[in-house]
Amino acid sequence: MKEVIAIIRMNKMNETKRALSAAGISSLTARKVVGRGKGKVDYLLLEGAKSGYEEAINQLGPGPKLIPKRMLNIIVTDNLVEKVVKTIIKVNQTGSPGDGKIFVEPLIDAIRVRTGESGDLAIVEDAVPAANEV
Amino acid sequence: MLMVRAIVRPEKVDEVLSALMYAGFPSVTKMDVYGRGKQRGMKVGEITYDELPKELIFTVIEDKDKTFVIETILKSARTGTKGTFGDGKVFVSQIEEAYTVSSGIKQL
Repeated sequence: MKEVIAIIRMNKMNETKRALSAAGISSLTARKVVGRGKGKVDYLLLEGAKSGYEEAINQLGPGPKLIPKRMLNIIVTDNLVEKVVKTIIKVNQTGSPGDGKIFVEPLIDAIRVRTGESGDLAIVEDAVPAANEV
Repeated sequence: MLMVRAIVRPEKVDEVLSALMYAGFPSVTKMDVYGRGKQRGMKVGEITYDELPKELIFTVIEDKDKTFVIETILKSARTGTKGTFGDGKVFVSQIEEAYTVSSGIKQL
């Protein structure tokens, strides 16, 4: 069982959700986060600011700039990881920096609160009909 | 690769972020969280604050940078030189794969 942590653009959220449920992965947790990436900050500038050059400090601005993003936490069985990653990349790729990152983290256990099932049984979706099918 | 999750005081966030930037680790994600620690919240007179506001900082790094990044976070997040209760915690977990969406390449 793996946790896929994806950080994506705010305006790609609906598209991503639609694509994921079309791929058969409907459960996810989403959060609004802020953050920054590798950025385009020149390290010479940083060095300059560190050694106290006015010019460099002015160019850097007052503080670190953080950009709003959406963070998705998707917990899936091992065999679905590739599908999730590919779907997210396909939908979110615009080619310019700031598209986001995807991390895959191993999980030890998951437990479904309703039934107390644990392990892979707690996260498989096959048995549960989708809301619009009921 | 490792994911470092640091829970720090809201007023220390800017300091931690700029320390990380200067240390050469600009990529971070931040979110607001509420929680309590070993001290079971905070008691001010009659009032008990069960859940205190904190900030959660995520960053993913290469294995070799672990000690340096953690040292940087600890140094900048500590209150004073000795630190006090409520300064936060740092958790480290293993990341198996990382992808950059814009290029689709499997790397940090």
